[in-house]
Amino acid sequence: MKTFVVNSTSEGTETSTMDSVATKRPWSVVVWDDPITPMSVVVVIFRKVFGFTVDKATHLMMTVHNEGRAIVWSGSKDLAESYCVRLQSLGLQSTIEQDS
Amino acid sequence: MARTRLFARQRDGRIEVRLNEFGHDFVRVRFADLVAAQELPEHRWRAFLEQPIDPARDADDPLSSLERQKAVATNAELALLTADEDYLSEGEAWSWLSSLQHVLRAAAFDQGVVDYVSLHAASPEALEEIHALQQLLFDLSEALN
Repeated sequence: MKTFVVNSTSEGTETSTMDSVATKRPWSVVVWDDPITPMSVVVVIFRKVFGFTVDKATHLMMTVHNEGRAIVWSGSKDLAESYCVRLQSLGLQSTIEQDS
Repeated sequence: MARTRLFARQRDGRIEVRLNEFGHDFVRVRFADLVAAQELPEHRWRAFLEQPIDPARDADDPLSSLERQKAVATNAELALLTADEDYLSEGEAWSWLSSLQHVLRAAAFDQGVVDYVSLHAASPEALEEIHALQQLLFDLSEALN
């Protein structure tokens, strides 16, 4: 059963479902650390797929290396899936997840 | 003494492949293995080439899985076709990078290398293979950057 959320506003009353709220939460593309991929490969792939600057791509690569994972992009589910597939096609371990 | 890079960007944008005959043989055999792994479900590398897109779901969107499989297969075929070339276009060089990445991943997993602990415990033969592939990838990524 759907749970309804009712927000009172000055213009009136808005009604939405938890389902629609849930779908509006952005999706993230997560890249995971692995023990074998050279760091320079990760940087060049980030630049190719996302068009990041060298500095941003290097910063994200170091986050992956030091923390085990990094969120490299957030937005719609369709685009997140598309980016994830491109990263996987280039041999990076990546997944998508919805922001909590 | 400075080490000679295995790949170099030329002024016309192409990537020069500075591999000797052994080097070309090395990549050709592995690209052929990758093509075979894409075509044969029973290939020993097959299981290592598939990873989940959304781990929260039991199964991924079939279209996304198909798109990934197609991209990997296309890159592997192009890499195999150009394995003996001395100069690569930008697109061909990226097909090499993609394919070398998948070969590295599959070869490492095939040898039981799944994390830093198993990497440090790997056999000398496994490490030699991994280091050779990493060297190719490092130099190719430097040329592409």
